[in-house]
Amino acid sequence: MNRNERVLVVPCSGIGKAYGTIGREAAYGLVEELRPGRADVVALSLLVLGDEETRARVQAAPVITIDGCKLACASKMVAQSGGKIVHAANVLDTHRRHRGLRPKGVSRLNSDGEQLARVLAEELAAAADVHSREEA
Amino acid sequence: MPELPRKKVGIVACSGEERAEGTVTRLAALKVLELLRPDDMVTICLPLFLAGGEGDRAFARFHPTVTVDGCEKRCAARATEQFSARPAAALVVTDLVGDHAQLGSARRLNDAGSRAVRVLAQQLADWVDALLDRRDDQPLRQTAEPSAAVEAACACGSGIPVLTLSVGGERPTLIAVPLIFKQLHQQGRRPGADGVAAELLGLVRIYNPIPEAEVPVYQAALEREYADFCRRKEE
Repeated sequence: MNRNERVLVVPCSGIGKAYGTIGREAAYGLVEELRPGRADVVALSLLVLGDEETRARVQAAPVITIDGCKLACASKMVAQSGGKIVHAANVLDTHRRHRGLRPKGVSRLNSDGEQLARVLAEELAAAADVHSREEA
Repeated sequence: MPELPRKKVGIVACSGEERAEGTVTRLAALKVLELLRPDDMVTICLPLFLAGGEGDRAFARFHPTVTVDGCEKRCAARATEQFSARPAAALVVTDLVGDHAQLGSARRLNDAGSRAVRVLAQQLADWVDALLDRRDDQPLRQTAEPSAAVEAACACGSGIPVLTLSVGGERPTLIAVPLIFKQLHQQGRRPGADGVAAELLGLVRIYNPIPEAEVPVYQAALEREYADFCRRKEE
């Protein structure tokens, strides 16, 4: 990824667990706050349906996936769509590195959940930067 | 009949992470799950139809399902029909609010977005009632905001028990069959005994449509599978 290349972020569509919400919030944190103008969120449901335009997008740009459980829907779907994953994050792994946090809530995260999302967003930003330097 | 998970209405939201309309679908589904009809609905992440197992793909075959999409691409409705079963109803946010409504951002809905969530959630709750054939005189288990927050839970990883059969060169997936096998085995109904094959077929047909012309091949395949099941149990 050079400085002008935008990274695509594909969070899982997790709907029933806090980890899905944390992954999504981290994706928005990366795109809107940490690396604005250098990253875009892609809806996973479009890849589920095999939307050609979305498949072409993930094939043409570096992709960061964020999964919220071990089923790893986001990384599986991007891989199946021919996308190039430069970093595959899993909220569970980030939580293991920050065991003191007790994230709860689905439609609304508690403060630990929000904090874990910020930590994950920073990890994603670092991963995007590493890839950017390698490609420069 | 076997003890299957209680029948509920499934709701599948597109959750489109790029658009505010996608957030509306997800929050509306969660509102029904957490507040409006917590005992009567179940949800699943859409990508599990591909990334999950056969049990996940059986979701809409077991639960009458309402899909809710953010836009005219209708990913949830189309993917549910393609990978699981035709949904009983399909709602689209843009049908509710129009194509150019300002609902806020995908991350933060504005007041109009929050209103759309409330209206859509009520529409979903009405569909839940209709599909469960709840009459107006039956009290709802939950009609108001609960005193304690209910933690939502999805059906991810808790798929419907299924068996994939080999039938005439095809591999149909039948729901509930593992539980039916278990029940018959516990009742001491052994393969080959009088009436077992017919009873097995009858139970399987409660949950799975089997074309009349194919009944003999299905019955033979089920007998084979049940015999294998009993052999494994008794080894």
